[in-house]
Amino acid sequence: MQDILAFALLPLAAAIIFTGIHTWLGLQVLRRNIVFADLALAQMAALGATVGVVAGHGTQSIGGFGYAFLFSAIGALFLTASRALARTMRQEALIGVLYVVATAATILIVDRSPQGAEHVKRMLVGSILSVTMEDLLKLLLLYGAVGALHWFARRPLLAVAEDAENTKRRTPATAFWDLVFYLSFGVVVTSSVSIAGVLLVFCFLIVPAMIGRLFSMRIGVGLLIGWCAGALASAVGVLGSFVLDAPTGAATVVAFALALVLAGCVRFFITAPRKERQRNRRLGRLGAGFAFFALLGLSGLWVIVAPAADHPVVALIETVSGIGPERFLSARERDEYLDATGTRDRFRRDVDRLYDMERRSRWQGEVLSDDDLRRIGSMQQTLTEMGRGERFVMDYLRARARERERWYVGIPLAAVGFAGLAFVSWRWLPRRRRAARK
Amino acid sequence: MVGDFAAVESIIPPGVDPEAFEPRPSDLTKLKGAAIVVRVGLGFDHWIDKLLYLHGDASINRRGPGYVDASLGIPLLEIKGRSIEVGTQDGHAHGLANPHYWLDPAHAEIITAAIAEAAIRVAPALAEKVIANRDRFLERLRARIAEWQQQLAPYRATPLLAYHNTWPYFARRFRLDIVDVIEVKEGVAPSPARLAQLAAKIREKRVRAILHETYEPEEASQLLARRTGIAVLKLATSVGSVPEAGDYLALFDHNVGVLARALAAASN
Repeated sequence: MQDILAFALLPLAAAIIFTGIHTWLGLQVLRRNIVFADLALAQMAALGATVGVVAGHGTQSIGGFGYAFLFSAIGALFLTASRALARTMRQEALIGVLYVVATAATILIVDRSPQGAEHVKRMLVGSILSVTMEDLLKLLLLYGAVGALHWFARRPLLAVAEDAENTKRRTPATAFWDLVFYLSFGVVVTSSVSIAGVLLVFCFLIVPAMIGRLFSMRIGVGLLIGWCAGALASAVGVLGSFVLDAPTGAATVVAFALALVLAGCVRFFITAPRKERQRNRRLGRLGAGFAFFALLGLSGLWVIVAPAADHPVVALIETVSGIGPERFLSARERDEYLDATGTRDRFRRDVDRLYDMERRSRWQGEVLSDDDLRRIGSMQQTLTEMGRGERFVMDYLRARARERERWYVGIPLAAVGFAGLAFVSWRWLPRRRRAARK
Repeated sequence: MVGDFAAVESIIPPGVDPEAFEPRPSDLTKLKGAAIVVRVGLGFDHWIDKLLYLHGDASINRRGPGYVDASLGIPLLEIKGRSIEVGTQDGHAHGLANPHYWLDPAHAEIITAAIAEAAIRVAPALAEKVIANRDRFLERLRARIAEWQQQLAPYRATPLLAYHNTWPYFARRFRLDIVDVIEVKEGVAPSPARLAQLAAKIREKRVRAILHETYEPEEASQLLARRTGIAVLKLATSVGSVPEAGDYLALFDHNVGVLARALAAASN
C-alpha cells in the first residue's frame, strides 16, 4: 500500500500543478484562437532539448533546460511575429508550419544520435510517473513566478488576447505583451514537456480550459471550473492507471477526454437554458436511439452476410445472455468443441511447465545441457503447433455454429435494429418538416 | 576470425536499440560488394529481409553462400511460439524464441562456426587461415569464460531484476536468477501498479540489482532503485554500446566486472 501511495502521489501532485498553470494559459490560447501554438512551442522546446542531448546535456539538466528554453524563445518570437503576418495569411497556418519544421528538424538531429528514436518517443509521451519531489519543488517555484507575472500583468495580457483577431490595431505595446505571453508560455511548456511529454501537456492546456469555457465565458469562473475538472481528471487518470494496470500518461489523456465528454453532456443536457436544454435532450435521445438501432441492425445484417467473421455486438449479447454459439452445435460437435478447448489449454499448461522447469535450471541444481534445451524447445514448438490445431478445430466449429445461428439471431437482430431506425426516423422527420414549414 | 583479409562493417550503429532500428537508404550501399551478411535471426532483425530483397544479390540472400543466420544451431531459450497471441507476457512480440543468444559467450562457438563455414564457401582459398583464426579466438574465449564464471561464482542464484528480457542466456551461463522484468511489453511504459508489484518483489526476494540496457529509458528503473535502495547496472548488449565494450571479449569483461563489483558491494 505504501508503494502504491508513493508511486501515485507524486505523479498526481505533478498533474494537479500542471493543471493549475496550463488551464490559465489554455484559456488565453483559446481566446487567441491559436490552439496548436502549444504543440508548436512544445515541439520547439523538444527540438532544443534534442540539440542539448546531442551537445551532451541531459533533458532534465540546467544545460538541457537552457537549450530547450532558447529554442522555445525563438518559437515565441516567431509566434509574436506571426500575428503581424496574419494580415496576409492565417496565423494558424504559420503555427502549423512551425510545428512540422520543428518536428522534422528534431528527427533529422536525433538521426545522428544513438538513442534518437527513444528520445523522440520520450519527448512525445514523457514520464510523469518518475517525477521526484525535487522536480515538484522546481515546478512550484517556476510556475509560481510565471503565475505571479501573469497575475500582475493580467489586464494587458487578457486585453491583447481578446483583441488577437484584430490585426489592424497592432501597436508596439500589443507586440510586447504578445512576446511576454509567448515567452512565459515557452518557459512553462519547456519544463512540463520534459516531464509529461507533448501529448499530455496538450491535454493539460486545452481540455480543462475547454471545459471551463463550456460553462462560462468569464475568465475567473472558467478558470475555477477548469481547475476542478482538471484536478478530478488527473486523479481519475493516475488512480485509473493503477486499477487498470495501464501506463499513467495514456490513462491520464483518456481520463481528460472522458472529463470533456462528461462536461459536454452536463452542459448540453443539464445546465443549458430551458428551451435549449429541451431541444438538446430531444436531439440526444434521437441521436442515441439512431446510433443504437443502426448498430443492432447492421450487426444483424453482418451476421447474416458473413457468419464466420468477427461479431463484437453478437459476442457481447452472447456474454450478457450466457447463450453462446455452442447452443447451435449438435451434441457430437459440442463434445468435440469442449474436447478441443480442454486439449488446447492442457498444451498451453505443458508449454508453461517446460518453460518454468528450464528457467529454474538456469540457477538451481544442475544446469540443463544444450541437448536438453534443444529437446525442450522442440517439445514446446510441437505442443504449440498442436495447440494451434485444436484452435483451428474450435474456430471451425464456432463458424459452423454461427452459420446456423444467423437465422435465429441475425434476422431478429436486423429486424429490431431496422424497425427501431424506422421508428426514430418517423419521430424525427415530422418535427423537421414542421420546423421547415415554420 | 577474418583477420586482415576482410573488412567487417555493422549496419546498426553502436548503442542503438537493435529491436527498434529502421534502416536508411545509405545502409543499402553497405551491402554493395558484401561477400557475407551475418544476421541475428529469430525475428530480431526482420528489417534486413527487406534490405536484402532491395539489394537483390542472390549470393547474400537466403540460401546464398554468403548468407549467415547466426541463430541456427543455438539451443534456444523461451520458445513459446505463441508470442503474438493474446495473454503472452513476453516482451518479444516478433520472434520464435528469446533472441539475445550472443549474450552467452559459449554460444560464440556455434556463431563463429556458421561464419567460418560461409567464409570458406565464399573464399575456399582462405579456409586454413579462417580455421586457424577461429581456433585462436575460441582458445582465448574458453579461458576467459572460465575466468568470468569464477568471478561470478560467489553470486550464484543471486536474484536480479532486468528492465527488458535481454539476459536469460547470460543468466543461464553465470547461474543468476532474473526474477522478473520491468518492461513487460516492448516499448510500453510499466504501469504504477506493476511498479508497486515489482517493489514488493524486490523486497520479498531480496533482489540485489537491476540490469539495464544503455538504450532503454531509465525512468522506471531509477524510480524502483530510489524506492528500494538497489543499484541500476548499465550493461553492454552489443559491441560499442558502452566505450569499454570494444570487442566481444571486452563486452563480457565489462558486464561481468560491473556485476561482480555491484554484487560484492550489495553483499557487504
